[in-house]
Amino acid sequence: MVELRDVHMRFEEKKVLDGVSLKVKPQERLVIMGQSGSGKSTILRMILGTLRPDSGSIFFKQFEITRLSRRKLQRVRQHIGMVYQYSALLSSRNVRDNVALPLEELTDKSQSEIDETVDEKLELVGMEDSKDLLPEELSGGMRKRVALARALVLEPELLLLDEPSAGLDPVIASVIDELIISLSEKSKVTSITATHEMDSAFRIATRMAMLYQGKIIEEAESEKFKHSKNPVVAQFVSGSTEGPILEGSLDAITKK
Amino acid sequence: MANTEPPPIAIAEGIGHITRYFLREVGSLFWFIVNTFEETFERIQHGRVPFRAASFFRYTERAGVDSVPLVGLVSFFLGLTMALLTGYQLQRFGTERLIPGLVAIAFTRELGPLLTGIMLAARSGAAFTAELGTMQVSEEVEAIEAMGIGPLRFLVAPRMLALVLLMPCLSTVSNIAAIFASSLVCKAFFSIAFPYFLDLVKDSLLIRDIITGILKSFLFGLLIAAIACYRGLTVKGGAAGVGSSTTSSVVTAITAVIGFDTLYNVVYTTFYPT
Repeated sequence: MVELRDVHMRFEEKKVLDGVSLKVKPQERLVIMGQSGSGKSTILRMILGTLRPDSGSIFFKQFEITRLSRRKLQRVRQHIGMVYQYSALLSSRNVRDNVALPLEELTDKSQSEIDETVDEKLELVGMEDSKDLLPEELSGGMRKRVALARALVLEPELLLLDEPSAGLDPVIASVIDELIISLSEKSKVTSITATHEMDSAFRIATRMAMLYQGKIIEEAESEKFKHSKNPVVAQFVSGSTEGPILEGSLDAITKK
Repeated sequence: MANTEPPPIAIAEGIGHITRYFLREVGSLFWFIVNTFEETFERIQHGRVPFRAASFFRYTERAGVDSVPLVGLVSFFLGLTMALLTGYQLQRFGTERLIPGLVAIAFTRELGPLLTGIMLAARSGAAFTAELGTMQVSEEVEAIEAMGIGPLRFLVAPRMLALVLLMPCLSTVSNIAAIFASSLVCKAFFSIAFPYFLDLVKDSLLIRDIITGILKSFLFGLLIAAIACYRGLTVKGGAAGVGSSTTSSVVTAITAVIGFDTLYNVVYTTFYPT
């Protein structure tokens, strides 16, 4: 479904991705783990084509995202849903209009069909009673759910989620996670989630990948990943301060 | 004592940097306009409306209708001042009957579009930059792009069309307000009655002056909207970035309007000297 081949990316002096290769199979729920700023969101943006890598190729189905023209890329994006870390709802539109936007702009559906689809998706995420509220009137969890409904409104084949449970209380985080799982099971949606929330990651994932210093250092099924022998992965999973991740930087912090 | 003057090579380097930055910005703005047109016409080719009428009318109301009092008032005061100042000078030679023509030609051909352009750059241009800039930093623009919706067609085209179509209307408001103000001055200070004032205006104004003014207005509208939207969509650095981009948008748009006006006048008077 999705494939990254030897992707390199650098932001000014900082090398963010250093030869990342990754394959995602249909209906899989892949979770990409890594420290903050390690390049997880960059990978999602590259799959979506809003960021172009310095080198390497990215494929979505038979399309090479990195070589598509703007017009074709826009058409391919209609098969991909994206949920941003801070939801990215249009602040001037209410919940209903946010969810309806892709349908209004990209389909020939009538107003009643649009209303029906919007109601269905909002009901799916439990937000049917907040249709008339503006994003500023919603809590973080509610915004995430609306963003999820908007991402699903065009029935995408691939769902990209950037930190779906970051900043949410554990109960709402679990609700979002369960929603992602049920979607993938019922609608056969493939999903790629970028997160560093361990509980959420293990709940969602059918397979996990660890991004460290610009490379995928481990790729395994959830259970194998949890008991990985790789010292970086083991430290990340346990959340310990002892290990290779903070080597050097911890000394610098304590010296201050 | 050490020589503190910069070496000629450093000055040349500085000029080179500024020129390169200027040319890069002009090139980016040009492609920004081209891409907006391209994205909009692609949509029309597919038999779909490029943006919603409601969205277009919202901008025409905010940028146009709401600007009428400001444009009218400023032009009224300027017309008043211009008629008074020129009137006293012309009176010394007994030619105060030239005031109506002078104010009418100056405003229709030059000051109306220029003043309106400056006011719209400050009022609507700043609003467009701040609005799009805020959307840019809160990832809303990227989310629109991620859905497969062309952000230039969806966000820029209705704003651009609103300003392009409204600039000539607002320039006309400016011209009328200034000419009306000068008619009051002519009546009160130089004993020129309204009917005679109107005759003098009609005698001195040429269709060419009116067309020149309208043509300029269209182009100023396009320039202001393009600069404002471009600055908004290229904001970097959060809230501070929105602030500095808005300032930069107003300064650039006003400078561009005045610069373009000068260029237009030079070209125009070269080819049509009379």
